[in-house]
Amino acid sequence: MNYRGVFALTRKDFFLYFQNRLFAVVTVIGLLAYLVVYFLLPGGVDQTLEIGFYTPIQLPSLEKVQEEGLRFDSFDSEEELRTAVEEGDYIAGIAFPKDLASSAASGKRPTVTLYFPPDAPDSTKSALQSTVQNWGYSATGKSVAVNFSEETLGRELVTGPIPARDRLRPLFAVFLIMTETLGLASLITEEIETKTLKALLVSPLNTAEIFLAKGITGVGLASIQAVFFMALVGGLGRSPGIVLVSLLIGSAMLTGIAFLIASVSSDTMSVMAWGILALIIMMIPAGGVLFPGASAGWMRVIPSYYLLDSVHIAANFGAGWGDVWPHLIALILSGLIISGAGVSVLERRFQ
Amino acid sequence: MTEKAIVASNLAYNYGDLMAVDHIDFELGRSEILGFLGPNGAGKTTTVKMLTGQLKPKAGQAKVLGFSVIDNVRKIQGRIGICFEETNLYEQMSARENLNLFAQLFGVDDFDPEQLLDRVGLSGRGREKVQNYSKGMKQRLMVARSILHRPEILFLDEPTDGLDPSSAESIRDVILEERDRGASVFLTTHNMAEADKLSDRVVFLNKGRIVALDTPHNLKQQYGSRVLKAEIVTEDGGLEEREIVLDEEETPELIRQLFADNKVSTVHSEEATLEDIFIEITGRGLSE
Repeated sequence: MNYRGVFALTRKDFFLYFQNRLFAVVTVIGLLAYLVVYFLLPGGVDQTLEIGFYTPIQLPSLEKVQEEGLRFDSFDSEEELRTAVEEGDYIAGIAFPKDLASSAASGKRPTVTLYFPPDAPDSTKSALQSTVQNWGYSATGKSVAVNFSEETLGRELVTGPIPARDRLRPLFAVFLIMTETLGLASLITEEIETKTLKALLVSPLNTAEIFLAKGITGVGLASIQAVFFMALVGGLGRSPGIVLVSLLIGSAMLTGIAFLIASVSSDTMSVMAWGILALIIMMIPAGGVLFPGASAGWMRVIPSYYLLDSVHIAANFGAGWGDVWPHLIALILSGLIISGAGVSVLERRFQ
Repeated sequence: MTEKAIVASNLAYNYGDLMAVDHIDFELGRSEILGFLGPNGAGKTTTVKMLTGQLKPKAGQAKVLGFSVIDNVRKIQGRIGICFEETNLYEQMSARENLNLFAQLFGVDDFDPEQLLDRVGLSGRGREKVQNYSKGMKQRLMVARSILHRPEILFLDEPTDGLDPSSAESIRDVILEERDRGASVFLTTHNMAEADKLSDRVVFLNKGRIVALDTPHNLKQQYGSRVLKAEIVTEDGGLEEREIVLDEEETPELIRQLFADNKVSTVHSEEATLEDIFIEITGRGLSE
């Protein structure tokens, strides 16, 4: 391996990247813009807690126990209630049993099931139990003894509610990576069009070493900026290792996409055209990952889903390796496939 | 050290139905300049690409510095220098930065970019961005890049094409210096005068085939005829041109008669050019 040559080529690519005023400006402005948008977004959350409930029997109106900051919505079935809580539409769900009235009348303790999303704090859980008991009291005029069964739906991640701007952090980070992807694709395209690549191909560097140098440039440009951004917005406060690894693997995967874009582009304009198409596709899962309820199963075929979700649950929920390893495996596999395809297609263009 | 720098045997390459290089055989000796001549599309550049590992031959074999161009490209590429026909420099970088990059790629440590730039007539211009260079300056930098690692074989593809006389002359000087250093030079050109001046031997390539291979002197001896051209003063004071073919049995007598019977104004001998010979052999000119 000609490490000296690879290093020289990588250094040259970094130099040329920042010689390109368009990409130099986009890099700086992009970083600043995302930082400004992040800090302009509200840092707090709406404190109104939305709670869903299902009851198979007629119960007194919940308005009697309506408290400030609580809103109750009724569901037709327990399954619908579960789904809504699982998708994050409600902070909690209450499912009353069919035998509520008969059990209470016979002195037995009916079991009320409470559903929580993974990010429900303990204070919400205890508050909800009190709410149910208050509800029983206002309905019967006396204290009602019930058992509670708690079930967490979705990932077992414990945290408080997430401010909107923190939910957007992974999106901004991936946007930054994609910007650098376009820069790398443009560098490669220019290298092909100006035929400087021919000079490299007849040097002692082999094709694999040239790809390695380009890969280091791509991953370096992309991940350094994304990590820098995440560090500035506090995205490395929880599970920093997972965030860093995810961004690194994601950068490698998107470098593969840069190779694919470069293989079909003839100039900077066509890089932009193909790049924007890729960007749109890669950003589709963002809605589903960042805004629960907007997700659809088919989004998981888009590899950026695993990057966005890994960064999201690590940075915002403090997810551990056990939570994200399937995502990272999917990311690595898709990265290998995309990078392999990118190298393969681009290598043919090198000939 | 192998005796020959390049040995090509039955080398061939086709682009679909077009036979670009049609089973050619030739050798390039050590410290020899071989002019590879032919019109556009004759197969010169395709041959260079095969010899430098950019294209894999479709048939035949070529050994460069003793290594097969099919199996040992990597071993060859560190020891050869290539100056491409089209300019392919990093234009946003300076000349020094371009040279330093390739010095690192070739693992050259004892390298002084200014000294090299001085050799090609770019002294004091090393810190300028290449995009501000003229075509001649860029071509000189390309030559400098191709020799910075002291290659054993130098491939030059139309190195002086379209250059001003001064730039062309400085490149020709470098080519001769490299030959004197011990490098073998594979020179492709359609500039016959240049090939005649520089080459120890020349190859005539036509439609992918070698139609002649010898020293320029021998080719002229074999195919060209030398003539004596004289201008004589006529009775009415005008000038008339006479030609006498040299090397014939009656030539001495014809020359004697020319001077005895006429008032000779001017006289000079003329020999066939490589271009004339190429046309004689192939029936087509180099510019076709």
